[in-house]
Amino acid sequence: MARKLRVRVDHLLCVGNAMCETFAPNVFRLNDDRQSEAVNPEGDPEAQILEAAENCPMSAIIVEDAETGEQLFP
Amino acid sequence: MATLISDDMFTPDAIADPYAYYGRIRDEDPVHWNELYEVWVITRHDDLVWLTRHHELFSSAVFKKDPRPAYPAIDESDLGLYEYVRNYQGDQFIQHDRPDHLEMRKVVHGYFTPKSLEEWRPFVQRAVKHLLDEAEKNGRMDVMRDLATPLPVLVIAEMMGVPEPDRPYIRELAEKLLYIGRGEHDRMPILTDGMKGMIEYVSPLVDERIVNPGDDFISVLAQGEKAGVFTRHQVLVNTSLLLLAGHETTINLLCNGTLAFIQHPDQWAKLKQDPAGAARLATEECLRYDSPVKSIQRIAFEDVEMRGKVLKKDDRVRWFISSANRDPNMFDKPDTFDIERWPNQHVAFGSGIHHCLGATLARVEGQEVFKALAERFPALRLDNEALEYQPSITFRSLKSLPIHWQ
Repeated sequence: MARKLRVRVDHLLCVGNAMCETFAPNVFRLNDDRQSEAVNPEGDPEAQILEAAENCPMSAIIVEDAETGEQLFP
Repeated sequence: MATLISDDMFTPDAIADPYAYYGRIRDEDPVHWNELYEVWVITRHDDLVWLTRHHELFSSAVFKKDPRPAYPAIDESDLGLYEYVRNYQGDQFIQHDRPDHLEMRKVVHGYFTPKSLEEWRPFVQRAVKHLLDEAEKNGRMDVMRDLATPLPVLVIAEMMGVPEPDRPYIRELAEKLLYIGRGEHDRMPILTDGMKGMIEYVSPLVDERIVNPGDDFISVLAQGEKAGVFTRHQVLVNTSLLLLAGHETTINLLCNGTLAFIQHPDQWAKLKQDPAGAARLATEECLRYDSPVKSIQRIAFEDVEMRGKVLKKDDRVRWFISSANRDPNMFDKPDTFDIERWPNQHVAFGSGIHHCLGATLARVEGQEVFKALAERFPALRLDNEALEYQPSITFRSLKSLPIHWQ
């Protein structure tokens, strides 16, 4: 079974580039301010979530292992 | 009685100090109709962010959609050349809206991620070292001519896979392409000369990379053509876009940032204490304090209300980074250059889906240059105090920046 992730978006950094929505559309959604929010960390496979994080131009997406707390990105 | 705000954005005063001119508009009439150039002037930070994040209301297809003539005006005999420019610029991916823009950006986005660009840092470091070694022999340099211009061209030429002997020619073309942001009435022949030169130069490179793709940027675009996302003309103009956008803007960051350090000795002293540690936040503050790009334009898709004004469908809407990045509603002591400022939510790279593709590259170049200058030339001085800027509302460009350190 896939490990559980904790996914956060730093809103001091997020510029609403929205690439994360493209890479992991079931995890990230833009809010009313058009900043990204991780609405469902289990929405897409881990590989897609990490790809979304890597493609964030602001490195605003933080991905951690929910069990161990280990930071997987950045 | 209060004086009216002049709508001439090209007066020597407005060019020399855009912060006073656009700051006054921001404070008195933040969504301002400029009658002279028939353009909305958007000046507040929150309005700029809102506008750029509502791409469904404001089209980026400015060259194809704007029915009005070029501004500032051009020679009547050059109207045919302006049509060429519209067609050329209009094919850049940044001049597209969704859904096409997303497909196009997906092709090029991966080349410019923070992770990909970290791999370019050693190349940037070597290039900076080489340029500063040359300057050191003379004890003085024109930052513009000897550092800020050659560095981004070296990097981009490498990204494009341009052979070394051709690089002076690429620089020559880049100089001509810069006329896109200028105001001279006779700018069209020089500009179109640069555009045609680029198409001619890049065409055989694309032919070759279609067959033998490498890891360069032209190969990335060529793959986009193979996938049916780009036409050949779009591949060519997007190569040209990389050269221009990655060039002019970085020049301005490096020159304006160096100038800010020279004019603020206390901040320069702070950077020198810990160049490697301070360079990252310092570069962000350079981007905010004297932003490389002054303004960007959109065309309203429909009637939009902002602060009680109605922006009509097809109206020109221009958002001013220069005033937004000095907005007191967003920044504490906005006119103070503070290299430890955090958070620093400046909009030097815009915002939303069109947020500058090359932002991370500009950051890497800025960080490496400011760090190296602080380590190597601690006693930077201006040769003279008289500074001149290009008459542009798009770019905040010094004409030259001669300095010495002995």
